Amino acid sequence: MARIGVFVCWCGSNIAGTVDVEKVREEAAKIPGVVSALDYKYMCSDPGQNSLRNIIKEKNLTGIVLAACSPHMHENTFRKAAAKEGLNPYFVEIANIREQVSWVHEDKERATAKAVDLMKMMVEKVKRDKPIEDVRVPLNKKALVIGGGIAGIQAALDIANGGVEVILVEKEPSIGGKMIQLDETFPTLDCSSCIMTPKMVEANQHPNIKLYTYSEVEDISGYIGNFKVKIKKKARSVVEKDCTGCGECWNACPMHKNIKSEFNVNLSERTAIYVPFPQAVPLVPVLDRSVCLHFKKGGKCQKCYDACGPKCINFDLQDEIIEETVGAIVASTGYDLMDTSMYGEYGYGKYKDVISGLQFERILSASGPTEGVIKRPSDGKTPQTIVFVQCVGSRDPEKGVPYCSKVCCMYTAKHAKLFAHKVHGSQSYVFYIDIRSTSKGYEEFVRSTMEQDGAIYLRGRVSKIYEDEGKLIVKGADTLSGNQVEIAADMVVLATGVIPKKGSDKLAQMLGISYDKYGFFTESHPKLRPAESSTAGIFLAGMAQGPRDIPESVVSGSAAASKILGLFSKNEYEVEGTIAGVNEATCVACFYCQRVCAYNAISRKEIKDRSGKLVKVVANVNPGLCTGCGACVNACFSKSIDVKGFMDDQIYAEIKALAI
Amino acid sequence: MKTVINEQNRRNFAAQVEAMLHDKLAKCYQCGKCSAGCPVNFEMDYTPNQIIKMTELGMEDKVLNSKTIWLCVSCNTCSTRCPKGFEVTGIMDVLREIAEKKGIVSKVEKEVQMFHEVFLDNVKSNGRIFELELVGKYKLKTRHLFRDMFLAPKMLEKGKLKMHGEKIADLNQIAKIFKDFE
Repeated sequence: MARIGVFVCWCGSNIAGTVDVEKVREEAAKIPGVVSALDYKYMCSDPGQNSLRNIIKEKNLTGIVLAACSPHMHENTFRKAAAKEGLNPYFVEIANIREQVSWVHEDKERATAKAVDLMKMMVEKVKRDKPIEDVRVPLNKKALVIGGGIAGIQAALDIANGGVEVILVEKEPSIGGKMIQLDETFPTLDCSSCIMTPKMVEANQHPNIKLYTYSEVEDISGYIGNFKVKIKKKARSVVEKDCTGCGECWNACPMHKNIKSEFNVNLSERTAIYVPFPQAVPLVPVLDRSVCLHFKKGGKCQKCYDACGPKCINFDLQDEIIEETVGAIVASTGYDLMDTSMYGEYGYGKYKDVISGLQFERILSASGPTEGVIKRPSDGKTPQTIVFVQCVGSRDPEKGVPYCSKVCCMYTAKHAKLFAHKVHGSQSYVFYIDIRSTSKGYEEFVRSTMEQDGAIYLRGRVSKIYEDEGKLIVKGADTLSGNQVEIAADMVVLATGVIPKKGSDKLAQMLGISYDKYGFFTESHPKLRPAESSTAGIFLAGMAQGPRDIPESVVSGSAAASKILGLFSKNEYEVEGTIAGVNEATCVACFYCQRVCAYNAISRKEIKDRSGKLVKVVANVNPGLCTGCGACVNACFSKSIDVKGFMDDQIYAEIKALAI
Repeated sequence: MKTVINEQNRRNFAAQVEAMLHDKLAKCYQCGKCSAGCPVNFEMDYTPNQIIKMTELGMEDKVLNSKTIWLCVSCNTCSTRCPKGFEVTGIMDVLREIAEKKGIVSKVEKEVQMFHEVFLDNVKSNGRIFELELVGKYKLKTRHLFRDMFLAPKMLEKGKLKMHGEKIADLNQIAKIFKDFE
C-alpha cells in the first residue's frame, strides 16, 4: 500500500501570494494513500529538507510529492534528501506550482484549483513509480581529435598535458590548418607561423599524442566512453619513419608546372611529390598520385625514388585502415572560404588581380609565392592602390549566406595596414557595411589603420568591378555622404566569407551530432554548454561551430579539452536512469524507433537460444546515448518502448486524476 | 552624380585641408553627432559629417560650392560634443577660406558670404565691431534696406546699437594680423 507524503512549499510569497497553500495541503490530505501533508515556507531550506527527511522516516513513506518550483530548480535537492533516508530518488515527484501556476496566474481561487490539480496528478504518478537505478558507463580514457588546425591542436595538447592519450587526425598532409597559411595576426601583428609552428612541433613530439596526417575518419560507432573509430590513412607513397625530409625527391620531380599549390591558394605551383610548406609537420612529403607521371605513364618515371637517399619512396603503399577505441571526441574540422566566383560583378576568376583575402595573406607571407613582397598576380608589379571589399559572400542572403563571418573586418584592416607598411605612399580603400571589431584591442587596431596608416573607409557595398586600361575600376557607394564613387585600383582584395569545411555535414551524420542549416555544428546549449555537442562524449571546437577568430578557437579547443579531462577524471560516466527501455517480448522489430531517434541510441539486438539459433530481432537502447527524450515511445506501434519514470500507466493515471 | 576619385587630387585637397586645420580627417567616426546637434542643419545641403567625408574623398567642387560651409554659424556645438575631438567648426572655416581664396562665390548663400566680408572689413578698420556701420554696409551691399528694420528700436533700447563706434587703441596690431594672414 502506497504511503505518500505531500509537501507544499510557499516559496515565501512567490507561491503563497497567489496560491492558497493551506487549501492545497488540505486537499492533499484527502487523497487516498496520502499519509502526510505539510506546508512550509521554504522547503528547499535546511529546516525544510530536515522536516522532509524526518517525515519520510517517521511515516515510512514510499513516495513523496513536492508542490513547489520547477524540477529544474530543486528536483536534485529533494532527490538527494530522499536518498539519504534510503528512498529511491526517483520516488520524488515535483508538481510545479510556481513557474506554471503562481507566476503566470493572478486569480487566487483559480490558481489554487490548478495547483491542486497538478498536485493530484503527481500523487497518482508517484504511486506508480518504480525504482530506477542510474546507469554507469565505463570510460576508455583516450580521446580523438578530428582536425589539426589551431583549435584541434590546442585541444590535443591540453588533453595530452592532462595525462590522457590523444589521437589527432588531419586530412591534409600537414597539421596547421588555416592559421599556418596566414601572414601576421590581428591585432598584435605577430607572425602566424612563428606562433603556430612551435605548437605543431609540440603536438608532433608529445608522448601522449598520436598523429595521423593525410588521414580521414572513415567510420564511427558506439557511444560516450566507448567509441569505435576507423581511420583511413591514405597512401603517402613515402615511408614516414625512414624519411628525413631532405627534399631530394621533390627537387627531382619533373612535374613542376601546372599543378597549383593548394597551400598558396593557386598562386604558385608545386611538384607531384611535395610538402605543402617548408615548416610542414610532419616534414614528410606526399606523392599526389592523381598527377604523378609514375602512376599516369605506367611506372616509367621514378626520378624521386632514384634521388631518395634512404629509399623511403614506395609506389606500392596502400591505404591503411586503423581501428581505435576512444572515450571522447573533439570535432574541430574548421572552415573553407566561400567560392566568390558566383559574384560575376566582381570578376573573381576573370581578372587575375581580383583575389581573395586568403590569397592576399599568402602574398604578404614571407613563405608565400612572392616571398612577402606585394606583387600582383597578373604582371608581378607592385600595386599602389588596392581596394578591399568586405562582406563578400557574408551578409548576403541572396547569393551568399546571411551570417557575419566575423573575421573579415579585422583581417581586412590588417591587410590595409600591412599594405601601408610594405608599400610606402600606397593607398587602400576599404568598402564596408559595418565594422565589427569587438574584442580586446580590435577597435583600436581598426582606428589606427585609418588614422595612422591612412586607409580610407567607405561605408557601402561595391556594385561592379571591371577592367579599363590596365586598371580595375571599382564602382561603389559612400552611403555616408550619399555619393556614388568610382576608384581606379591596381588590385582588389575580396574579404571572402567563411563556410563549414566541405564534408563536415557527412562527419556530423557519422558522429550523430546536430548541425545548423549552414552546416556548422550545433552546441548543446548556445550559452551554457558551448563546448558540448548534442551527443554525449562529443565536443566541439574552432570554426566548425561557426565563425570565430584565433583566440576564440584556442579558447574553444581548451574548453573541449577541459570537458574531456573532467569526464575522464572518473572511471565511469553516470547517466540518469530515466531512459528508454524495450519490452523485448512485444517488440516486433519494425525499427520505427531507430528512425526517429536523434541520438543514434537504438540498435538491432539479436536474441539467440542456447544452441546459437536466432530466435528474434529486437530494438535495443544504448544507455550511453539515450537522453530519455521519448520520441521512440511515440513512434512505437506495438507499445514496446517506455521511458523509465514516464510509463504509460503513470501518464494515464495523471490524466485520470485530472478528469475526476 | 558619380564621383570619380582621382588619387592625386584627393590627396592634395585632403592634405591642404588637414594642414590648415591642424587635424586629421581620418579621425572622424562618421557617427553623426555633429549633424545631430547642429542648429542650422535643417537648412544645409550636406550634413557636417558628410562634409568631412567628402573632403576626405577629395570631392572639392561639391564641398566648396556647398551651402553648408556658409550656413555654419560657428556655434561650436559640434566640436564641443565630438567624441573624437575633431575640429568640425574648424573645417567649415578652412573650407570657407579655400573657397574665398579660389574666388568661388556661393550661388545660394551669397549674402552669408557678403556678411563675412563686411564683418571682416569692419574688424579690420575698427579693431572691433561697430554694429551700426556693419548693419549699414551690409544693407547697402545686399540692397535689402528695410529688412529687419523693426529690430532696430529694440536693439537701441537695450543699448546694443551705439551711435558712435569705438576703435581699439593699437590698430597696427590688427593690421598686422590681417597682413600676416594674407
